[in-house]
Amino acid sequence: MKMNRVTSWMFLLAAVSMVTLPVHALAKEYKLGLSLAITGPTSDAGNPYSKGVEDYFQFVNDTKMLGEDTINCTIRDDQYNNDITKRNFEDFLDQGIVFYLNYSTGSTLALKKDFEEEKMPVIPASFHAGNLVDSNYIFLPIASYSAQAIGLAEYVVKNHKEGTPKVAMFIHPSAFGRGPVEDLQKAVGAGLKMEIVEVVEHGKDLDNTAMLQRLVSKGVQYVISQTVQSPVATMLKDASSLGLVAKSFGEAGKITFLGCHYTGGNDLVALAGPAAESFYWTTSYIVTNEPSPGATAQLDLAKKYNRDEKAANSHNYANGMMVAQVATEVIKRCKAKGKEVTKENLYEELQAMNGDKAFSPGTTVGPVTYSKTDHAGVDSLQLYIVKGGVFKSTGTPFVPEYTKKI
Amino acid sequence: MAYLFQLIISGVVVGSIYALSALGFVLIYKSSRVLNIAHGQIIATGAFITYALTVWAGIPIYISFPISMVLTFFLAMSVERIFLRRLIGEPIISVIMVTIGLMSILDGLIYLTPFGTENFSFPPFLPTTPIAFAGVSISWTQMVGVIVTFTMIGAFSWFFKKSTLGISMRAVSDDQLASMSIGISVPKVFGLAWAMAGLSAAAAGGIIGNITGLNFDTLHAFGIVVFPVVILGGLDSILGAVVAGIIMGLIQQFASGYLDGNWGLNGTGEVMPYIILLIILLFKPHGLFGIHEIERV
Repeated sequence: MKMNRVTSWMFLLAAVSMVTLPVHALAKEYKLGLSLAITGPTSDAGNPYSKGVEDYFQFVNDTKMLGEDTINCTIRDDQYNNDITKRNFEDFLDQGIVFYLNYSTGSTLALKKDFEEEKMPVIPASFHAGNLVDSNYIFLPIASYSAQAIGLAEYVVKNHKEGTPKVAMFIHPSAFGRGPVEDLQKAVGAGLKMEIVEVVEHGKDLDNTAMLQRLVSKGVQYVISQTVQSPVATMLKDASSLGLVAKSFGEAGKITFLGCHYTGGNDLVALAGPAAESFYWTTSYIVTNEPSPGATAQLDLAKKYNRDEKAANSHNYANGMMVAQVATEVIKRCKAKGKEVTKENLYEELQAMNGDKAFSPGTTVGPVTYSKTDHAGVDSLQLYIVKGGVFKSTGTPFVPEYTKKI
Repeated sequence: MAYLFQLIISGVVVGSIYALSALGFVLIYKSSRVLNIAHGQIIATGAFITYALTVWAGIPIYISFPISMVLTFFLAMSVERIFLRRLIGEPIISVIMVTIGLMSILDGLIYLTPFGTENFSFPPFLPTTPIAFAGVSISWTQMVGVIVTFTMIGAFSWFFKKSTLGISMRAVSDDQLASMSIGISVPKVFGLAWAMAGLSAAAAGGIIGNITGLNFDTLHAFGIVVFPVVILGGLDSILGAVVAGIIMGLIQQFASGYLDGNWGLNGTGEVMPYIILLIILLFKPHGLFGIHEIERV
């Protein structure tokens, strides 16, 4: 009798194993890594970005988007320190990652050779055009800072009323800030009819009066910024108190302020308050205060994972979510073709993401397209303007013309 | 001419805010010969407390601002009591190392709050139209900043010159052993110095936060930005902090106004204060108002 009970239990165990083992044996876990500034400098962008990545991969696993397979993305804080980023990347390699998400311009440039050596497909949060120089494995999620600055400059040229517009650039004192300067100068050389009067590299300024008055005395009517929100907010406040902010685009004797991706968003309004009114901003991401399927998906995702309103509405949350969408999409395509999910195959799938295989994540104003010769994802940009304390679309998405001419 | 006057006004405004930010360094150094490396974090903490009281607790800013100064006063006093009291009599370098550790701890604690990674701004409470006269303008935020700065500097100067407690603090700074021998409590003086530094840091944080918006990186960086002001002023002189602050503010504005954008120069407003600092220190190694101590053996 005792023997029979033991036999029955063993039978049952064997039966259960036979049913479940094949499923578990087939289920795979794909390892990815993300190193970024969750704390430290620029963490105001890095923090919501990491939440976007984390939530989307969690969503992929929870909804079984990849069937029984799962994505395991390790997210590590590097405090905006290149040495820590490098250490994190090396740890991720030891873990066997098949795809890597990076963050800053500095660390992307510093690790470029490592990415080449490891043949690792990488999407950074930096849109610096220089990331793509001498690189085969870096893919920008959206149009580069250079394309953004050129797009803004083209808008200035098209909408300026009298003569040649005089423009100043207000940039971060780093590779991140300086990136688009040369490309914008090249666009002017290629026929974009505007004059770059001055390039201002800002510091930790408490007062920009001298700079603003100097620019006005030189006839500058437009300032294109390529930096982060805080210095732009201080400049806008000073310009506002000096009565220098143009109320309509290109107002004579006043300055119209414009900026690339990381200068704008809700954080700029939070910092500059009413002085942010009439600030022009370009990015390839949608904003959540304008209804769209992408905005709904973004807000629903944030709600599902209990994110606060600030993170939910951040364009950097959309940014993080979008790179996770692209990574998931290439894994899906790899699986659909019956190919093994390896860094080599994911790299191939990324480069095949064009034409009818372009990917529309919804969180951007245009599709993501990559090819062997094009590693900048979303080419379209949208211009937004602050009205009543929120960013509103002005015009339709556009692709800067001069990016192809330089 | 209006441009020149505008630069002078801007220089004085920026300089006086530098002076207020530098005051915390001076107050602690004056009594204990310690440089508090975590001062920038205390400036940020003061600003965030003001914001939390104003926006989250709904207290009007003209009440929340002094409350936050009082809270930061006690916070800084507690920091001294918990972390630094035991180090009285230990080598100064040990105490400075503790303030570096303190900086990391405060960084970590602030990063646990929304203030570490998010941006905020105070609700507008001052007129947005600037005060303008003969082509020269100054915003109300800057004007209030200057008034608060000079009021506080005046109050601290009076305190150190006229009050018994202030004179006791100067005595401790001069000679701890001699001070103890006449009944002055050195630990209490140290605690008070930190508390007063906290008070001035909260005021500086509130003013800077109003100008730049509340971003932790920007705010705590002012602990380092004002370092040349402290050195130029002579480390232990309140008057020195004021004069050096205004000199630095003026140099920045003049460099930015007259040099930047000409002859291919850029960012001189950031560099010139350090160049001038080096030149002045060549001739006055103890700073403009620093005490040159003569040791007799």
